[in-house]
Amino acid sequence: MAAVNKRAAKLVAIGVIVAGTLVAESRKEYHFAVGPRAGVSVMNPYGSISVRPSLNNTVVVNAILHSDKVEVDNNQNGNRVDIQSHLLAGADSDSGRVDYEVLVPPDASVTLHSDTGSLRAEKLHGDVSLEGPGAEVNVRDISDAHVHVKTMNGAVNLDNIQNGHVEVDSLSGEVTLKGVNGPLVQVVSTSGRINYIGDFGKSGEYRLTSHSGDIDATIPEWTSADVTARSVRGEVHDDIPLQPKTHTYFALDKGRAFAGTVGRVAVSSTVVLRTFSGKIHLRKRSEKQ
Amino acid sequence: MNCVELEQSLAEVESVGSVEQRAHLRACPSCSALVTELNQIIAAARQLQGAHEPSPRVWNSIEIILRQEGLIRPQRAGRPIVPSFSTRWGAARWLVPAAAMLLLALGIYVRRESLPNQLAEHAAVTVPVANPSDLNDDDLMQEVAANSPAMKTQFEENLRQVNESIHDAQGMVDESPNDEEARRSLMDAYQQKSMLFEMAMDRSLP
Repeated sequence: MAAVNKRAAKLVAIGVIVAGTLVAESRKEYHFAVGPRAGVSVMNPYGSISVRPSLNNTVVVNAILHSDKVEVDNNQNGNRVDIQSHLLAGADSDSGRVDYEVLVPPDASVTLHSDTGSLRAEKLHGDVSLEGPGAEVNVRDISDAHVHVKTMNGAVNLDNIQNGHVEVDSLSGEVTLKGVNGPLVQVVSTSGRINYIGDFGKSGEYRLTSHSGDIDATIPEWTSADVTARSVRGEVHDDIPLQPKTHTYFALDKGRAFAGTVGRVAVSSTVVLRTFSGKIHLRKRSEKQ
Repeated sequence: MNCVELEQSLAEVESVGSVEQRAHLRACPSCSALVTELNQIIAAARQLQGAHEPSPRVWNSIEIILRQEGLIRPQRAGRPIVPSFSTRWGAARWLVPAAAMLLLALGIYVRRESLPNQLAEHAAVTVPVANPSDLNDDDLMQEVAANSPAMKTQFEENLRQVNESIHDAQGMVDESPNDEEARRSLMDAYQQKSMLFEMAMDRSLP
């Protein structure tokens, strides 16, 4: 009997703790009517932010607050909506956490900031700007827009960005671009690895640079691109036959640099791959990829 | 008549047009150019005079006083080469072209002297501060320690890496000052450091 009582007491205690946790969490929902090309910004020190398209000209913000030590400030100024997580006294990275799911009109310009949480945006054609020192960034299915990403060590994944003006600055996070093309695609990293899987579009300027990280570009045989690759202290490899350039402004040290054209010169993109001490590998995409 | 004599004759005699002067001007392109310039200065002065001309009574009054002082004499007959320059400027009329020639010569000299320096400055893209990659790093880490203590280690490591990249990129530029890619790498490295600073400052802990 005593053992049953003890067990029951433990179960009750666990139930109270769980219930307490659930009660501390709260949900908030906000709606804003906006016009074309609205601006939406979400500043959230701790927690994730996810943005998807809405079906009408309304911005819908769903926020899950993990404690009462944080509140959501919301403000609309004309066609601009600003959401900010306001940390109260005693908040830390756990109690100050808010997770956002935001629906915006597809043509809205979006700015997201989170120190630690993940940042996600998809299926939009307005400008997208995502920042956060440790935030993992995922952007997909964006077209005809500017995409700006800044992270310190968060991983960056861009997938299916069409006709984009893409700029990624990541100090040490790994950057992966899959099916990303447009008039400008630029990635600058200090020590992060850069992976590009795509065909460099029909025309555009592609610049992938990492000071000490490796650069891997995997492209199909039918790519048309003018490629130069150079590593000051590292190695370079190319698996795709290039029509070599005869004149470059830097020395074509074998194993440290190559320059040439893939495919048709008349319709081609300009591709620059640079690293100081990392490796550069231009790979041929297999049919399975 | 030589060039010196011509200049003296223009300075001393109010109105000129002698055969000797004309003959020298035909033979001497330098003096001919000088006279042309003086005529241009006079023409320009007339335009200015026209814009800011005081009333004729003022000039009359001045002329009367100057004649009474014996500073001006009646104009002689003969078509002057430099018609009104000597009457308006007096002995100082050679100061303007002399000053112009002096400035031109000085400008040429300064440009010649500074051209090698300009090339060197263009080639060597160096930051004037002795150790720029260490500039304000302590401030950055203090800011991080105060506002984002949990991320201090990550900031430290990234700061170390970006300073290293600046050092390496600067080395490349020093080795090959005309390498555009090297300069761009240095610029990228500084921009990465700038981004790190921005992230450190942009915190919102209570």
